[in-house]
Amino acid sequence: MKTRRDFVKTSLAIGATFSLAANLNSLFAAEAVAPASTETLPPPAPSGPKPILVAIRDGDRVAMLDKALEELGGIKAFVKPGQTVVIKPNIGWNAPPERGANTHPSIIGRLVSLCLAAGAKSVSVFDHTCNEWRETYVSSGIEKAARDAGGIVVNGNDQTLYREVQIPNGVKLKSAFVHSLILDSDVFINVPVLKQHGSTNMSASMKNLMGIVWDRGVWHRTDLSQYIADILTLKKPALNIMDAYHPMVRNGPQGKSVEDCVEMRTLLASTDIVAIDAAAAKLLGHSPEKITHVKIAHEMKLGRMDLENVDVRRHKLA
Amino acid sequence: MPRNPLKIIRIALAGLTFVGLSVAFVDFRGFAPPILGHALAHTQFVPGLVSLSVGAGIGALIFVIGLLVALAIGRIYCSAICPLGVLQDVIARIGGWLRRKKKFLPYAKPHTKLRHIFFWGAVAAAFVGWGSFALALLDPYSNFGRIVSMLARPLLTAANNSIVGFANAVGTQSLYRVQPAWASAGLLLLPAIFLTLVVVMSALRGRLYCNTICPVGTALGLISRFAAFRISIDKKACTKCGDCLRSCKAQCIDLRTGTIDASRCVSCYNCIGACDEHGVRYRFSWKKDSVADEASSPRNASDPQRRDFLASIAGGLVASSALLTRAKAEPSSNTNDLPTLVKKGKASRTICPPGSHSVDQFLDRCTACHLCISACPTHVLQPALFEYGLEGLFKPQLKYTSAYCLFECTRCGEVCPDGAISPLSLAAKQVTQIGVADFYQSRCVVAVNGTDCAACSEHCPTKAVTTVPYRDNLRIPVLNQNLCIGCGACEYACPVQPTKAILVTGRSTHTDAEILIEKKAMAPTPSNDFPF
Repeated sequence: MKTRRDFVKTSLAIGATFSLAANLNSLFAAEAVAPASTETLPPPAPSGPKPILVAIRDGDRVAMLDKALEELGGIKAFVKPGQTVVIKPNIGWNAPPERGANTHPSIIGRLVSLCLAAGAKSVSVFDHTCNEWRETYVSSGIEKAARDAGGIVVNGNDQTLYREVQIPNGVKLKSAFVHSLILDSDVFINVPVLKQHGSTNMSASMKNLMGIVWDRGVWHRTDLSQYIADILTLKKPALNIMDAYHPMVRNGPQGKSVEDCVEMRTLLASTDIVAIDAAAAKLLGHSPEKITHVKIAHEMKLGRMDLENVDVRRHKLA
Repeated sequence: MPRNPLKIIRIALAGLTFVGLSVAFVDFRGFAPPILGHALAHTQFVPGLVSLSVGAGIGALIFVIGLLVALAIGRIYCSAICPLGVLQDVIARIGGWLRRKKKFLPYAKPHTKLRHIFFWGAVAAAFVGWGSFALALLDPYSNFGRIVSMLARPLLTAANNSIVGFANAVGTQSLYRVQPAWASAGLLLLPAIFLTLVVVMSALRGRLYCNTICPVGTALGLISRFAAFRISIDKKACTKCGDCLRSCKAQCIDLRTGTIDASRCVSCYNCIGACDEHGVRYRFSWKKDSVADEASSPRNASDPQRRDFLASIAGGLVASSALLTRAKAEPSSNTNDLPTLVKKGKASRTICPPGSHSVDQFLDRCTACHLCISACPTHVLQPALFEYGLEGLFKPQLKYTSAYCLFECTRCGEVCPDGAISPLSLAAKQVTQIGVADFYQSRCVVAVNGTDCAACSEHCPTKAVTTVPYRDNLRIPVLNQNLCIGCGACEYACPVQPTKAILVTGRSTHTDAEILIEKKAMAPTPSNDFPF
């Protein structure tokens, strides 16, 4: 039987070959590698129509968000009048927006407005922050942006707001304390920021969901990448919108200064959390299967990382 | 015009310091600006004494002004400035309401011997280098701080938490839960006993604590004996009605001789308003004839024991200041010539706050008032039991089990009133190495489990902890101790049980860490198109 470890070794070897071969042609090389590696995988996951991945470049963040939503059928395709919405940005670190450690506040502000305009009953915003939550909410600019747009900013560092839930379909993660907003809201929108990450290589849509659970120590202690995939069996976001305007490409996920970020002027959106992270991996120069949790999620059929089976809609605004 | 303007001024000042300091010590949400506690703590006697001994400018100046005020008009400090004094008045007042029968405190003789013991105990402690230990135990301001910070604060935090759910249900997010910061039971015992003592003494005997145990009361009592203006009774006008006596909380008015014991009078001015004949008031007492007039004068030669007491107290004050000054001159090298008791600070691996420079200096200066502990937004500052040795009892230490020192925070130094934690600029704090981490790969999740983790590196603000490729597509932490400031974020985040795989050890003398400076990062993929 082929274990995951074997697969990782194979893909590492492939990755090494291609990085030696042609750095400049990494785009071509990565695409050439992808089909080869899917052969070693179980048949591609979900059946039915191809998931849509929208990739926008070269606009300001709000314009790219608007374009992405338009491509996906508008916010009304996701938010019905009278529904409660929870938006989960990345608000991990006490850092200003230009450091790229958190989702940019302009995206959150715009999204809150759009949800309310679509008739949402309430739009709540929270994250289980890594740094002190009050300061982090303020310095990220997200608290102000969300409140100004009419959203409710909720404490993510209050244990009493988390409920223990069973995760029967998790491979290793069998239960977790999940924020009640995630459990109780009608619509769950995941709005990560793209970052390099010191342990999982990349923090994007799936990694961002660590902010919906309380007991993260257990995750780190047990099997981080497997747990990140397993939580998706509980509830997947209805929509993922990724801020890749100026991703942090080193010293992640916290970063030290603006020098850690490069300008990419990109925004991704998809209902498929694995597909969007596969594209995110490529933005950071990785083949998707190098990101362990993305590969596991693909294998568990929680989404697809084989972008050739995804309906990718690319737009350049300039 | 109110009948007793002095009393109104006294109550206004007392309300200001008592409420202001209570807010600063309770403030579990960080509402109050650091300047509130910092400024009000500066008015306090013992922090002022420490400031004077270490030459800290404003604190020392305010302290000297305070001494001059006492020399001019007596122990107004005890009634209007000292929060523990005001607390006793509040307790006595509540006690009065609860009693069915009105009770008044008759004149009582001073407990001069007990006052000697506590005061000289503190002075003797200063002689053997334990001055700040004695001050920490006996300073009324620091005791008040600990009572509020260790007992009232967590109770009020819990009270806040109990109404958060209701507030959120009615649609406001302005209230939120805060983890109550309870110290361990062993630590809580002492302030609880102390509070009980103060409650009982003040409910039964007014200001007995201030006039028996409190060394600050004793010191100010000494000065007040020589005050230029003292409250005295006009014997010609006195009808011996006893109104002044009944209003006195210090039991220091002796109607048989018609005198007021200036060393015990806390200048509350109740008696002034109580006298219908207007016979009780301030009188200038440095005139020769007034000395001759008044039997109460301390200079009355009939009491040689008292005279000795005064002289020795004066000497003691000078000695204690001098000894504390020594602590400033050579903070870490001067412990060898202390007669018997060796300080523990040097050997301590306990982590003291950024800005305190060294464990020894910190222990010399800190009186454990807990203002920094109350101001600390993460509760990483916690009172020590014996981690610093006995000398460091109640003094703040950084504990990384459930919190870490925030990279963007300098609050402890901003509130500290006595130079134990000097204020640091943010840039200075971010390089101040208060401890150093050690990484134990043999316990690390990545090495042991072969799964991803690196929570330590994730939390490290200086990138002293980074990760490098490891087997099987994993990344494992590596540590550069030169960049480490000992903030404990890594230790806090490490999920390994029971002993973490990365642990911070305190530096007995703080130094500066190096700073990682990097050029602009390179784009990982061509930056003008989609790489997919």
